[in-house]
Amino acid sequence: MNDPELIIQLQLGDASAFKRLVEDWEDMVYNTAVSIVQNTDDADDITQEVFMQAYQSVSSFKGESKLSTWLYRITVNRSLDHLKKMKRKKRFGFVFGLFEHNDEVQLQPTEFNHPGVLMEKKEKAAELFKALEKIPGKQRIAFTLNKLEGRSYPEIAEIMNTTLYAVESLMGRAKGNLKKILKEFYEEKK
Amino acid sequence: MENEKHIEKLIDETMDSLDGAARAKPRPFLLTRINARLNKQRESRWENAGSFIARPAVIIAGLCMIIGLNLMVVVYNNSTTPAVAVTDQLSNTTDEFSSSVATLDYIENIEPQ
Repeated sequence: MNDPELIIQLQLGDASAFKRLVEDWEDMVYNTAVSIVQNTDDADDITQEVFMQAYQSVSSFKGESKLSTWLYRITVNRSLDHLKKMKRKKRFGFVFGLFEHNDEVQLQPTEFNHPGVLMEKKEKAAELFKALEKIPGKQRIAFTLNKLEGRSYPEIAEIMNTTLYAVESLMGRAKGNLKKILKEFYEEKK
Repeated sequence: MENEKHIEKLIDETMDSLDGAARAKPRPFLLTRINARLNKQRESRWENAGSFIARPAVIIAGLCMIIGLNLMVVVYNNSTTPAVAVTDQLSNTTDEFSSSVATLDYIENIEPQ
């Protein structure tokens, strides 16, 4: 079953088509989400929400873009929303702390280890993820899609609904910022 | 100088640390979890609607609205329909009924040709 056929079946409410959609794209959606939000539990939640949104809004999908691009867009938007929510929680963490006595909301960042990174590179990858947290969201997404999902610049432009020039600029700034952060880190460490 | 070179090397190695990384996989039974959430969402939508309707404030407001509408209809009818008009209407209906009965009698009494 190719993409247009799958979309038609999904629009007709076919349960087996939805199963196929999840099985085909779950790794892609989860890997993108976990790379952006850097938390396996949150990424699992986002993955579920992405497929729920896809199921509920497939009737409005016109097929102007590829199915993968559409899913990437939903994932990226959901992940960005999650980052914004976390930022808000962090900002008001002190106020919440005054009224709440449970440890439900973990506001202290923990070291993130991407499950797919090679063993010998894990330590350095963790430093890179720490640095990624400090750069703006759009730069982080462009860098993640390129490095961890292997998407080309034109594909990233389509996913982010922007121009190729803008993606090149985002990637350039992302790499520059990351190098700057890493330089400071290694200089401090010496 | 040597130190700077070493830092540059570390930065480059860190920047390339994601090369060759495999895709992370979600926990098993993702589809089951998604379906459970979709079902829960459907149920909670009805539950929300039910709990909204069952609120005392909504019930009281609904009853007040029904009583108010009934009162409005009664008051409106009393103010716009004069007693004479009602009597006329009644007599007209009676006339129509009696004439139709007469017509039926008439048809029954006609000799077949």
